[in-house]
Amino acid sequence: MVKRIMINPITRMSGFMELDVIVDDEGRVTEAKTKGTMFRGFEQMMVGRSPFDAIYLTQRICGICSTAHSVGASMALEDALGVIPTEQGRYLRDIIHGCEFLQNHIRHFYQYGLPDFVRIPNNNTIYATKQTDYRLPNQVNDVLATHYYDSLPISRLGHELLAVFGGKAPHNHGIFVGGYSTPATVDKLVKAKSILQQIAAFVIEKMIPDVYVLAKYYSDYYHIGAGPRNLMTFGVFNDYTELGTLYVGSGIYQEGKFQAFDREKITEHLDHSWYTGQSSYRPFDTMPEPDMDKPNAYSWVKAPRYDDHPFEVGPLARLWISGEYRNGISTMDRIIARTLEVNKIIDVITRLLDQIIPDTMVQERWQVPETSQGAGLVDTTRGALGHWLKIDKKQLSFYQIITPSAWDFSASTTDCKGTAEQSLIGTTIADPDNPVELGRILRSFDPCMSCATHVYRPGHEPRTFQVFG
Amino acid sequence: MDSEHINTSWEVGELKDQIILPPEPITNEAIAKRLYEQANIKLQSGEIKRPKLVWLELNGCSGNIISLLNGDNPSFEYMISSMVDLVYSNSLMIPEGEKALDKLMDLLKSDESFILAVEGAVSLKNNGMYQLVGSYKGQPLTGLQAAKMLGAKATHVIAVGACAVDGGPSAAKPNLSQSVGLQDVLDRRIIKLPGCPCHPDWFLGTLSHILVHGEPALDKRDRPLLFYSTLIHDRCPRLDYFHKGIFSKTLGEPYCLFKLGCRGPVTRVDCPTRRWNDDVNWPIGASTCIGCSQFGFPDQMAPFISYDT
Repeated sequence: MVKRIMINPITRMSGFMELDVIVDDEGRVTEAKTKGTMFRGFEQMMVGRSPFDAIYLTQRICGICSTAHSVGASMALEDALGVIPTEQGRYLRDIIHGCEFLQNHIRHFYQYGLPDFVRIPNNNTIYATKQTDYRLPNQVNDVLATHYYDSLPISRLGHELLAVFGGKAPHNHGIFVGGYSTPATVDKLVKAKSILQQIAAFVIEKMIPDVYVLAKYYSDYYHIGAGPRNLMTFGVFNDYTELGTLYVGSGIYQEGKFQAFDREKITEHLDHSWYTGQSSYRPFDTMPEPDMDKPNAYSWVKAPRYDDHPFEVGPLARLWISGEYRNGISTMDRIIARTLEVNKIIDVITRLLDQIIPDTMVQERWQVPETSQGAGLVDTTRGALGHWLKIDKKQLSFYQIITPSAWDFSASTTDCKGTAEQSLIGTTIADPDNPVELGRILRSFDPCMSCATHVYRPGHEPRTFQVFG
Repeated sequence: MDSEHINTSWEVGELKDQIILPPEPITNEAIAKRLYEQANIKLQSGEIKRPKLVWLELNGCSGNIISLLNGDNPSFEYMISSMVDLVYSNSLMIPEGEKALDKLMDLLKSDESFILAVEGAVSLKNNGMYQLVGSYKGQPLTGLQAAKMLGAKATHVIAVGACAVDGGPSAAKPNLSQSVGLQDVLDRRIIKLPGCPCHPDWFLGTLSHILVHGEPALDKRDRPLLFYSTLIHDRCPRLDYFHKGIFSKTLGEPYCLFKLGCRGPVTRVDCPTRRWNDDVNWPIGASTCIGCSQFGFPDQMAPFISYDT
């Protein structure tokens, strides 16, 4: 019998998502829709504001990856203001950005992802679950469940390290046009190294072994959740004048071939999204108008495409394109890549910290041109992030943001489903009443629907719930 | 005098009588610390039991739960082991879909009392359809509905962060989602903890106060005086430069940031002394204060940085 499964909310992620899938009589997923269920409209909010405010206000898009937006916005502003940041400016900005990877990936692996595979002691109602597909032997399970708690002070240290240079986290004050606002001092640099050492010990001794424990007992997840197998990165921690590329330059992997990335090939499509305007456009072209009555639309998630194809972005795409991990493209490979990337980022931050010259001022009284435009494209925790802005009469007149989660959780176009949607189709669900496979696949992308900022509107008004007896 | 000497010199009882304790520090931080300790003692002894806490995420960035995870003495681990039974959290709970919402519905049907913490604004657009908490029995459950249902029954309601307090960034103009603060849809006392995000101590200190002594003393705008009684400017380490008229011309200079648009003079909270992320730094340690803990943030605090003055 054909069955429809709707899961809302998908918990253990940032923001709100509904999943709507159809499974056939053999339990195979034949149709899938991922829908963001929250809308705020940050792009429209930016119009009319001081250009500098974008660095702080766009961070409020997301609580777990706010730093990413300060990096994207400051780079777009530098482009618009004709400012070329110094190497010192880039180094410290990138260190602050790197700290967010540490915080995000550790929290995602232990607090969001791990409970899909490991039984967590039921000492609070949030941990009470009826899920049964837990495969680790008791002793092994107990060790990983302990690490759920052991990880909490470590991910906290990731934000502490961020705040050493960024002022506070979430929502830092340290990133600005020119790279950073306040110079590093020697005491801060040594504090940073000391914190980093503690995080590194945890990652080497616990986190990386833990992911391979999951991979051993859930090895079938190497074979599901592949998606379109198109990978993309805008590049991050790359093209330093003296250091070269410490992680990965921009690149594309499609149909088994590596290609150079060309930002002119980025478009957004509105085929099945609640917007009117040009059905497809480039980022600088237009901000589409919302239209909830548009026929054949099922979601307000737009559909970003590269060369008209959907792409996967994130840690696996980065490690694949940089050549450091090419085991496969699957749910488990995605989880492993994210874990291995933490170690990579620790190495990058360590090398950048060694380059910092204490007390180096990079700030000026930046002048805003009467009219201009600029773009900031950079890879962040979840993948490729782009900020495109225009300035008119010294104020922001246009803002376009395409987030990593918009790539991974994009709506369908007429000829092609979104990346995560494709990753679900074909998966066999063992027990449709407990479809654990779906959440595991989706979480392997580390969805951030706070960033995707879209809205979904079913065809009926909400009704009153009768729950008071 | 070593401890052995003390023990041989006086009987224990005598010693106790003669000890004169130094005066207890009365800084906000010290008072908050003593409250945490008292709460813990009473919980351990069973004098008070772990009450239920619902953490409801509405229209926002879910950054306040992340900030809560940054709590350090007390920590999030401490909160769930020794202070409350956490019943609901979209970011952290293991069940998903209807099984997650069952936790809320079961609680509402029961006679159990609970404390409600809300982060994010309430979106009014399209009867609240711009932000769904989930879907129950095939029907969407809007943030607006969830806030009203839970808010009507909770013993205490805490608005955590700028968006829940008065709409915050989610309600920034042109406010297409028609977002408002929680008070606009709930006619009852709401303890307000503005901040973007809320500092973990502000929330956990307020929670401890509720557990041990009941509701904390609030100002006229329902903010706990314990945390929100002084202006940032008045306790800013750069205040001396302000009085001497020495102002930073660019970010990164160590002088007063007033002329670059710092909102410390209008923002009432204990940031300068409490600081952030285990005390390593605070916003003015990096750039200007943008007034994120003041009502009206962000629109009334913009522009955040200004070179025109």
